[in-house]
Amino acid sequence: MKRDELVTIFACANVRVASLLVPRANRAAWRAEWDAEIYHLRRASAAELSDSPGTTPLEFSRGAFPDAWWLCRDHLRSHGASAWQAGSAGRCVATLTALMGAALILCMILPGARRSLLPLFPSQAADLVTISPAGYAGAESPGISLQQYQEWQTNTQKLFSELAWYHPTVKNVVLAHESTARLSIGLASANFFRLLRVQVPDQASGGAGPTLVLTRSAWRTLYRSDPRIVGQSATIDGKSVLVAVLHDDSPRLPGAMQGWLFQDHAALRQLSPHARGFAFARIRDAAFPPARSGVRIMLETRWGITHVFDCVSISWLTWQPTSNFLFALLLACLALPATTALPLGDYPRYRGRMVFRITVRRWSFLVLKLLLLVAAVYLATIALGRGPAWAGSTSVFLQVGAAFPALLFGFRWALQDQRRRCPECLRQLSSPARVGQASCNFLSWNGTELFCIRGHGLLHIPELPTSWFSTQRWLCLDSSWRCLFPENCAPSPEMI
Amino acid sequence: MPADAKLSHTAAMILQAIHAGHIYGFSVMQMTGLPSGTVYPAMRRLERDGLIVSKWEQQSIADTEQRPPRKYYRLTRTGRTTLEAAWVRYPLLEKMIPTPVMERA
Repeated sequence: MKRDELVTIFACANVRVASLLVPRANRAAWRAEWDAEIYHLRRASAAELSDSPGTTPLEFSRGAFPDAWWLCRDHLRSHGASAWQAGSAGRCVATLTALMGAALILCMILPGARRSLLPLFPSQAADLVTISPAGYAGAESPGISLQQYQEWQTNTQKLFSELAWYHPTVKNVVLAHESTARLSIGLASANFFRLLRVQVPDQASGGAGPTLVLTRSAWRTLYRSDPRIVGQSATIDGKSVLVAVLHDDSPRLPGAMQGWLFQDHAALRQLSPHARGFAFARIRDAAFPPARSGVRIMLETRWGITHVFDCVSISWLTWQPTSNFLFALLLACLALPATTALPLGDYPRYRGRMVFRITVRRWSFLVLKLLLLVAAVYLATIALGRGPAWAGSTSVFLQVGAAFPALLFGFRWALQDQRRRCPECLRQLSSPARVGQASCNFLSWNGTELFCIRGHGLLHIPELPTSWFSTQRWLCLDSSWRCLFPENCAPSPEMI
Repeated sequence: MPADAKLSHTAAMILQAIHAGHIYGFSVMQMTGLPSGTVYPAMRRLERDGLIVSKWEQQSIADTEQRPPRKYYRLTRTGRTTLEAAWVRYPLLEKMIPTPVMERA
């Protein structure tokens, strides 16, 4: 094979590769132009006509890449812009995604909401419960006093196989080479991690004295993951403690603790008996019949007054926000047909490949819109109900009370928005115009007419549903009508 | 694109070359001395802005000469007005790439 032919083959291969960047609609014509130019370049070279730079076919074909790249960029820019035009489907989806993202960020910022989204414990055993005053299950404020915890340790052995407690407090932690840090520390009973089945760091299980167990996130944010502080001694309230770090971020417990300081019985006794904290227990199934809702009631009579406590299973507590939301979703679905019409209108039957292109895309858009809406409302109501430190029942009422109207009006909007969109390009229809006379309703049609700005068709909405015109109808226009519509009437440049 | 829009020197050279009768991409390259990676994207931009238009030559002509058909470019009325404005800005443009009329003169 001659060298010239080899060079031409490489040049054509360059053009083929570069053509992958060109938008598909223009690719064949673009390649034909470059192939033709290479042919003429070869002919000119053979005739030794060419003396300008970049005239060997291989050098010439290198220019195909910037050319293809420019076309690709221009295509993306023009189509990207149309996707962002007001009323376009892309803009609608992007707005809903942004709303969902904002709600997710809010949930991540608020500790209570974040805990509701993420699992509470690595292993959620069915017998693990949290004990709180009635109606305050899952609340951020502590409700069980040290005195109650100590009494329950002796008089509730028939109900609970093991009981643990912690008191949230704020302490100054002084490390040798670090500045003093103020941490939220849980003063916990010695069996606390064993009850939760959380893996204890080696330093804490060594029994070499009191240990401050930092959470992984506190170690990352406050001490920049410094490995030197692990095993080092720190000073809290003038007492020396050994520093350890948890292996992972769990457990996520109320109070947003940054560290744990385990206290034996003697150390706990030094706290005020009225110090309030959070209590956890392992229940005996024989003593507590399994409850349907995951909530068991414990009654305690003290000085003639009966106190009610909720023993709420951790797995139920984890699932509760979702079950509340699903309840609101069910209510909204039931109420929707009573507030708005469900049919989306009459559309003509598209044939062949148009079915996939138009019908499937239209339904996919509706489903995507509904999914994004449900996700956004779910996250927003979690942030509202679980973010601030509400009482347990208030949180439920807030979540359901906000989710139900948000979902109902959201679904109404989604359906109404779908009805006002062109089935082909999914853009919102524009320019509503009154057609016909209301006084002639019996003899002829009257209502509102909207059109697609790209000329795909007209939508007729009857003023009064009748037996012959009960719902809105879409009238398809063929391509011969397109030049009448604003977006399709760009004049072709006049040649001179 | 407005007719009085300011063109870069490269774009003005390409417009002048097309005006002078070098209507194919490769001949514009030869006339201006610009590489293909500059000429073709610039011509796409000029076409998008309505200063030039492209057309494929007739298949029958290409078949007669036993070669692939070529795409040629022409100035639009807006392109001509813009080029006239560019002559004021780049006075040497007409001398660098003379039009056939000028050559005769």
